[in-house]
Amino acid sequence: MQTLTVNFLIKDSPMAVSILDTGMRFISHSRIWLKEFGITDTDIIGKTYYEVLPATPNELREIHQHCLKGGASVSKGQKFVHPNGSVQWLRWKINSWKNDDGAIGGLITIVEDITEDKRKEELLSKALNVARIGGWEFDLISNQLSWTAITKEIHEVSPDYVPSLEEGINFYRAGEHRDAISELVGEALRSGKPWDTELQIVTGKGKELWVRAKGEAEMVDNRCVRLFGTLQDIDEKKKTALEYQKVSERLAIATQAADIGIWDYDVTQNKLIWDDFMYKIYGIRKADFSGEVEAWEASVHPDDKERCQKEVERALAGEKEFKSEFRVIWPNQEVRFIKAESTVRRDAHGNPLRMIGVNWDITAEKNAEKKLKNLVEITSAQNESLLNFAHIVSHNLRSHSSNLSMLSGFLSKESRATEKASLVKLLGDASESLNETVSHLNEVVQVKTSAQEKLKCVMLYDSIKQVEKNLSVLIKEKGVKRTIKVHKDITINAIPAYLDSVLLNLFTNSIKYSAPERAPIIKIEAREKRDQVVVTFTDNGLGIDLEKYGKKLFGMYKTFHRHKDARGIGLFITKNQVEAMNGKIEVASTVNQGTTFTLYFEKAQILTAP
Amino acid sequence: MKKIKTACVIDDDPIFIYGTKRMMNEVDFCEHILVYTNGLDALEGFKELKEQGAELPGVIFLDLNMPIMDGWDFLDDLGQLLQEDMAHITVYIISSSVDPRELNRVKDYKMVRNYVLKPLTPKDLDHVRTEVA
Repeated sequence: MQTLTVNFLIKDSPMAVSILDTGMRFISHSRIWLKEFGITDTDIIGKTYYEVLPATPNELREIHQHCLKGGASVSKGQKFVHPNGSVQWLRWKINSWKNDDGAIGGLITIVEDITEDKRKEELLSKALNVARIGGWEFDLISNQLSWTAITKEIHEVSPDYVPSLEEGINFYRAGEHRDAISELVGEALRSGKPWDTELQIVTGKGKELWVRAKGEAEMVDNRCVRLFGTLQDIDEKKKTALEYQKVSERLAIATQAADIGIWDYDVTQNKLIWDDFMYKIYGIRKADFSGEVEAWEASVHPDDKERCQKEVERALAGEKEFKSEFRVIWPNQEVRFIKAESTVRRDAHGNPLRMIGVNWDITAEKNAEKKLKNLVEITSAQNESLLNFAHIVSHNLRSHSSNLSMLSGFLSKESRATEKASLVKLLGDASESLNETVSHLNEVVQVKTSAQEKLKCVMLYDSIKQVEKNLSVLIKEKGVKRTIKVHKDITINAIPAYLDSVLLNLFTNSIKYSAPERAPIIKIEAREKRDQVVVTFTDNGLGIDLEKYGKKLFGMYKTFHRHKDARGIGLFITKNQVEAMNGKIEVASTVNQGTTFTLYFEKAQILTAP
Repeated sequence: MKKIKTACVIDDDPIFIYGTKRMMNEVDFCEHILVYTNGLDALEGFKELKEQGAELPGVIFLDLNMPIMDGWDFLDDLGQLLQEDMAHITVYIISSSVDPRELNRVKDYKMVRNYVLKPLTPKDLDHVRTEVA
């Protein structure tokens, strides 16, 4: 009965207990024992320990033998490596038991498999080692500070070093670091407030090191009895962070000085981020927009938007880096030129992750460039026109001088009186032509050299009506119908005499080259376009084959119709006069339908008294 | 030296025409002189001659600066009108222009033999005659 009771008690024992005989056969065991070793066979009584647990390590078998001889063995944890490489941690207590006659009857074992716990412990210790996290504890009752091995390692002191609290604090760098930790520890001692801070220590070997110091206080009856915490070596990370901060501050200063805006587009999240300078460059306030994409879409010039979007897509696709220029319109309607550059960051498969770029304002450069380009254009146009003019002068004078020399040559050899008389008449004609040419050239030179300050504010409508009136006889004779759609208030910058001459020439040209089979119609219209006045002068006359004559139309001594009055000087002078007034003249024409001259004048800014 | 049958002068300047005709007569340059005062008149005249089956002039003295149709346009149209018959025609450009752009253009026209700067002299006519004959 007694055995049964004992067995019964053992069965329900909360520990993994087994009782074995000298042959290591099970006499009894707790249920927990089966569970502990994961044994499903519930009837193991009479079977040997090694039958049930064939993987029992040899070391343990030896211990069993030792205990069967009267010894005892206690282990708080022993690591076994099985032949297959698997690791097992066991904790045990093994004693022998004796028969009534005092002889050893077998073993009582309490064995626990603590592999799982040990593994976790090992992992934690490894983690602490890798993360360089050490622990410490300060017992206020015994007034003892203890450091873990890693804490000592971080401090670069020997493993047997035992610090005092004061020494511990003195490892912090003198000055703000030591002051800060003293303050935090003092506060924790007084009120139990925990701390978590990043400070520098000076190790036992004199090395400066950034650490993250964490501490907590254990309070009993409002009195601190224990401080404990961790210390982590964060030197590398902290230095990198500090370096990064320094670099970004430097970059911020640089970009601020250069007025460069930085943007960052997260492709996977489809999120765009701007720095404050981007908003400055776009002349807008962050608060006025729900997001950066909206801000960009609202600001960029409509003519540039689609192109830019395509360029960004191409950059993301890896076809071409996004390096572009575009315009933005500020809220005050000012157009600014922006230069943009960016790079795309990609994952290992080449998929775009982020696009980072800069924007800066190049309006001033653009304007300077435009000005320079204009200047070069004007200069080369003037050079070209001067060269052309030189050739015209040389050609025209040479034609007459060669005629004169030829005629005088004939005259000197001529003996017949009648021939002589006709030669003299021809000489007269030649010198008259020369005279006319010289006066034409004079006219051109005058136009070309006319000073800009002669430009005056002129009422366009009045000028047109005046020329119309001067031509009234001709207009009446030819029955010319006129429609003049010019607002009476339109004023232009003009030299009055030139404007009259230009209008007169256009009127007379239209009448001269009107189509004989239809009544001439002249239509004059004017409209204001920004700082320009655009005047169109349309007729329904013969028209000009522009494909053939377009280039020569405004040339000197060019005529294109078989007309007795065609002199080929009018449009040449007209063009020069228009240009002298900072204007421009263009032509469109269809043969036998009519011609339209389009004139561009500067809009007069200030009305001067007549 | 073979006498040229028909020479043609295309120029809008009546004094030049008078002088050239007079010089041609003095040096007995050719049998007939054809005169046109612009390119278009000349082109239409040539068309007519061709239709009648008449002989075209062997030498043309061509001015460049003329109203209605200038010398260059005339050359372009003449090339189209005559095609292979061009081989029988020699063109001399007679101009007052020393513009290098015009002088360079001569290279584009195979039928143009030379560019003569005005005034035209009896010596020039002699030279032409030796070249053509």
